[in-house]
Amino acid sequence: MTRARVRTLLQWALCVWLVLVILGAFFYAPSALGFKGESARIVFFHVPQAWVAVLAFCVNLVASLRYLRTRDALDDARAAAAARLGLVFSVLATVTGSLFANVMWNSFWNWDPREVSIVILLLIYAAYFALREAVPDEERRASLSAAYAVLAFVTMPFLVFVVPRIYWSLHPDTIIGATGKLKLQMDSRMLQVLLGSLVGFTGLFCWLYTLEVRLARVRLARAGREEA
Amino acid sequence: MPGAESLVWVAAVTVVIWLGLFAYCVGLARRVRRLEDES
Repeated sequence: MTRARVRTLLQWALCVWLVLVILGAFFYAPSALGFKGESARIVFFHVPQAWVAVLAFCVNLVASLRYLRTRDALDDARAAAAARLGLVFSVLATVTGSLFANVMWNSFWNWDPREVSIVILLLIYAAYFALREAVPDEERRASLSAAYAVLAFVTMPFLVFVVPRIYWSLHPDTIIGATGKLKLQMDSRMLQVLLGSLVGFTGLFCWLYTLEVRLARVRLARAGREEA
Repeated sequence: MPGAESLVWVAAVTVVIWLGLFAYCVGLARRVRRLEDES
């Protein structure tokens, strides 16, 4: 089987999986207790988006460290692609969280520690792209943004995992509790859908990331041919 | 805005996000394949 055929098969498998997750989220999982209306169903999308954002920032760190070691332009492209996807999924997590906040607390924005910390994280990674745009020289841009990415990543665990747990928050109990233990006390059907959605979003991230890297590879090859 | 508490509202937002991301992926895959074939 050719690589293109495997890719097409995986693409359609992911499509079917995503449809099943959507159906499961609205027709299979029961309503959550203690939440207004059906607002809690957004958890099946909000949590995986936040997870993928963290995963993307981890990939950004690894690619940046690799660039600092190898000075390979493709590693720089990998880092930029991961940061871009991390930013997109952070925005999606913020938007879905904000919708949930509006249903639960009648306001899209409540200056909750978790809302503020995610915005600070968004600004930190937006600055990564501002830095990339500000430096015209490719090698210098790649070096500076790789170093910045390492520093940016240091703030991520604090902003995502520590700060929201230090202060009192409106945010519902998280899956990983303040003590660092897993708290998967939810209906088994809800858990199945949540885990299914985590797998689906991770697959979507892998697909997007692979496409971005392939695109960067083509662009780099073209630029190399033009230079030669 | 439709009734914020309704299932329809939550469903619409989440489905739009899924479909938007998936459609973007399909479009990007086609573009990448075309560029790879050209080069």
